Amino acid sequence: MTISADTFTFVAELVRRCSAIQLPAGKEYLVETRLGALARQADFVGVDEYVGALRLLQHCAEHDRVVDALTTNETSWFRDFKSFQALIGHVVPTLLRDDPALTSIRVWSAACSTGQEPYSISMALLESAPGLAVEIIATDISQEVLRRGRSGRYSLIEINRGLPAAMLVRHFVRAGAEWELSDQIRSTVTFSQHNLLDQPPAGGAFDIIFLRNALIYFDLQTRREVLCRVRSVLRPGGFLLLGATESTLGIDDAWERVPIGGGSVYRISTADAA
Amino acid sequence: MRALVIDDSRTMRRIVADILSGLGFDTSQASNGREALDLLDAGDAFDLACIDWNMPVMDGLEFVVAVRARREWRDLTLIMVTTEGERGQVVRALAAGAHEYVMKPFTPDALASKLALLGLLPFEESP
Amino acid sequence: MSMPGAIDAGQVAIIATEVFAAMIDREAGFLTTWSGGPLTVADPLYAWVDLSTVPASRLQLSTDAGTADEVTRAFLTMGRVEPVAEADVADALGEIANVLAGNVKALLPEHVEMTLPKVSWQSPSRDGARLNEVLLEWRGRPIIVSLGTI
Repeated sequence: MTISADTFTFVAELVRRCSAIQLPAGKEYLVETRLGALARQADFVGVDEYVGALRLLQHCAEHDRVVDALTTNETSWFRDFKSFQALIGHVVPTLLRDDPALTSIRVWSAACSTGQEPYSISMALLESAPGLAVEIIATDISQEVLRRGRSGRYSLIEINRGLPAAMLVRHFVRAGAEWELSDQIRSTVTFSQHNLLDQPPAGGAFDIIFLRNALIYFDLQTRREVLCRVRSVLRPGGFLLLGATESTLGIDDAWERVPIGGGSVYRISTADAA
Repeated sequence: MRALVIDDSRTMRRIVADILSGLGFDTSQASNGREALDLLDAGDAFDLACIDWNMPVMDGLEFVVAVRARREWRDLTLIMVTTEGERGQVVRALAAGAHEYVMKPFTPDALASKLALLGLLPFEESP
Repeated sequence: MSMPGAIDAGQVAIIATEVFAAMIDREAGFLTTWSGGPLTVADPLYAWVDLSTVPASRLQLSTDAGTADEVTRAFLTMGRVEPVAEADVADALGEIANVLAGNVKALLPEHVEMTLPKVSWQSPSRDGARLNEVLLEWRGRPIIVSLGTI
């Protein structure tokens, strides 16, 4: 069953209006699968009928549910494992080499979803650089995912995705039918709501910023603005990590790309005297 | 690459084998640890074994111990795929030499993600 | 009390919904708690696993033949009109009981062993075992998951 063009247009416009996120043509399947579940829960035969009903209503909680369903990523632990190899193998050693007296690291996990990314960062840093104090600011636009992240509890299905078994036994305990992260890891992450279109989180510059698979939802101008704001809170010598298929190329030329093991990390170009 | 799927349930063997073929593996099956060891002893070479825990004749943990005791099979990657989900069981399996652990119920991408961690997927995982 | 380790029906229902969502339907929302009135299943097929709790306990799955066939078709991603062999149904239901039991036993305070699954048209629990029933609905069809001491 495929949705009608009208349905897709309405949904794309709704999402854009509420979050500035763009659903390009080709994302029809995403709309079908994500909204299929909502349509069934609301007792509609299909997505067209469900959206048809939504169009007749003033904006309400159901519209928000649609936006939420379409702007939440399927997330996993250690997503794009190369990024974490780059973090441990290059980023942290470089920060330590540049400043041997470094005792703490401040990280921003932007668009953190249900928390697997910031907690993965914490586990990776704890295991590779145990002497460093770690502070991770994890932000997302959705209160629901932040609530889940703060709980530090994950279902079996979520635990199975991308989490090395050795990390599971080192950092998790069973909590009923779920698994719960240790206090040690949870205490390193602070979750807060943040829209990438707004000013970055306060509290000082970051050593490392993860902005992975978030820019893909924005148009070019918005991506440029987001990267500019991100740059303003990255300290000189700090690192930006994007998703595996993303790049600053063609968007913001204030960055220099550092190729690492088949992937890339980014630093503020030293040719650009900010 | 070749994978050996070991589970006493024909249903699970078929599901895991389908996932692995979809990822590019040639697959064989065994219904318990003893049958699987017999295949290995007969000279069949595999890169990967996905192993259930609770099986008749020889269970998955015994199979892992047996494989890890043989130098000629040291390059065989061992992933438990089992309903045994207590933290203590995961510890036991890893201590016995299993490389990874997938708990049932699982989704196909979960198994793929573990293979990616072990460097056994031929392609980059896509976002 | 019949529920070993005071495992509650809600937890069993959550486990069952995860199992069906991940492995059988490959999508959430098809298994829910039973919304109809009191439920008896005619001529049920039973699949069960016993746990070495003290006293021993059992996790049992029961449903009617038609539902068992449909669950098997979904589990094996078979076509809607493909005939399902009895052996396949027994294997599929036995594996579901196996996965449910493994996840339920992980809720217990101590490690216990579990048997391999068995499947039969005869109830294994005739002789006065007191099993608590968790009534579930899959695509409008009844599925009963029972748990208790035997």
